[in-house]
Amino acid sequence: MRTKRNDAGNLSIDFLVGFTIFMVTFIYVATLIPSLFLNLQGYSIDYNAVAYRTGVILVEDPGMPYNPPWESLPVSYEGNILRFGLALSDGTTTIPNVLSTVKINQFFCSTWVYPDDYESRALFGSYPYHFNISLQTAGSNVTRSVGEVLPENYGYSRRVVKVKEESYATIGPDTGSWHPDYRTDDYNVTTHLFTIFLNYTALSENGPYYNNPAYQINPISPMGEGIMVNLTDLENTTDTVYDAAHGIPPPLINLTDIQVERSVMVYNGYGYSPSNKGFTPVQGSYELYIDGNSTAYSFTPTTPPLNITSNVSLVINPFTLNSWGSQGINPSGKITALNITLQFELSHGDGFLNSTQSQPYGAFDYNYDPANVTQPALQDGVMEVAVW
Amino acid sequence: MVNDRGQLYTIEGIAASMIMLFTTFLVLNATTVYTPGDSHISDMQLEQIGTDSLRMMNMQENGSAGTNPLIAGTSPLQDMVDNLPVVNGAIAPAPDAFDPTNAFNVTFTNYVDNKTGSETDNLHYTASVTYYDIANKTTGSLLLSANRNLSGVEHPVRVTEWVIAYRPVPGDVTLTEPRVVLVEVLLWRD
Repeated sequence: MRTKRNDAGNLSIDFLVGFTIFMVTFIYVATLIPSLFLNLQGYSIDYNAVAYRTGVILVEDPGMPYNPPWESLPVSYEGNILRFGLALSDGTTTIPNVLSTVKINQFFCSTWVYPDDYESRALFGSYPYHFNISLQTAGSNVTRSVGEVLPENYGYSRRVVKVKEESYATIGPDTGSWHPDYRTDDYNVTTHLFTIFLNYTALSENGPYYNNPAYQINPISPMGEGIMVNLTDLENTTDTVYDAAHGIPPPLINLTDIQVERSVMVYNGYGYSPSNKGFTPVQGSYELYIDGNSTAYSFTPTTPPLNITSNVSLVINPFTLNSWGSQGINPSGKITALNITLQFELSHGDGFLNSTQSQPYGAFDYNYDPANVTQPALQDGVMEVAVW
Repeated sequence: MVNDRGQLYTIEGIAASMIMLFTTFLVLNATTVYTPGDSHISDMQLEQIGTDSLRMMNMQENGSAGTNPLIAGTSPLQDMVDNLPVVNGAIAPAPDAFDPTNAFNVTFTNYVDNKTGSETDNLHYTASVTYYDIANKTTGSLLLSANRNLSGVEHPVRVTEWVIAYRPVPGDVTLTEPRVVLVEVLLWRD
């Protein structure tokens, strides 16, 4: 009897080897498939879009809140700052691509922690982006930046901007605002009052180029700009000129007081003048830089007289100016005017420091006249946003 | 006993794996397709820089008078357009030595090439001024400046800025009215 062989239940070795080779290759190829789509994934598009959006927010928007501006809020109110924006705005008009120096300083300030503070106020994404935001102005090789070192590939946006610099006045013996006869004996006095006059309405309403905020000296919130007044060459302008060869000592110049007073201006039939209620004193902070010293000097009326050899710079920060003018243009058509008076005592009398012969109201008018005040200039700059 | 009947599946498996590997090799070595979704990003970045630059050039630098001998308080771009010598003799070149072509080249390339680090970009452009000729009812165009000529193989983007010109452009019937002309820049990268 013939035995019947049946191998139907067995896999041949041939099949096993062939199937194994196939499967090993198949799995290997399958693992290569994701890398095939590497070029098609959208991350670079997303990064570029976020960089573009961040650039637009920073360059074309004044930030939120805008009045009072976010940069003026104290640290304890930082939760109220919803969005960073650097564009210059006077509350009604925002000038895209023109950036405010005050906002820039506050944006790159060490108060903010990278990346959390910037991510929630400038980048706006749930994805934890890495980024670098940098700004450089023309003529400066200093780049201000926040963020990490750039990797090889990143989303990118570059914006050409202008940075509005603050105005300042430099007053020396050649400046025409002094009384022409200051060296004559008629003005031989030892107590000198130098007064700076700020007419808020003239500054905020009569700026150059149809009152374009880019060129204003605007002390009213939310513009937020400070002023600086430099008094120079004090020692060379007294009657008794310092002469070491003949034993003539330098004149002793003491700054004894600084008073800030505010008034409302009323229409008197011919023009606006301070109301007959006069100026009322206001409190505020300012910085003094003496004889080129880069450290600010804190001066209060109770401070002993401050000796000055050559020059003194008075810097009033924007928020102080804002608060002094916070009544701004009040409803009855009255407008704010400010007198800032520096009182000097001199060892030798002369007429130099005495500005009371100047017009109007016996004060140095901080205005749009380039002969008086170096006007705010727009400095070229470039901002880059990189996101990865 | 040796026979080759039992190796058919093995050969089939090897053949299949070779085909798969070869296909993968072909696909991986294929040219990367540059999709429109990628190219619009670099175009957008160029447009952004060009538009920003023209806008900044059309902005007065400070509150004092501008450099234009005719009108105080004009922007650098207005000065360039106003001082452009017109070839058909409608107006004479500016009395001063101001060279608008060179001035535009210096200012514009400075704006578009400037970066925050020490490196600079290298972009190319041609700029022209387009105006409406009232007398002939046609549109005319003048070359303003270029740092490279278009040969046709480039892929430029177009950026524009409206500028108020105080000097008459060709075809003006009055010599006193300011006119609006279009400054048009083609901008590309190598």
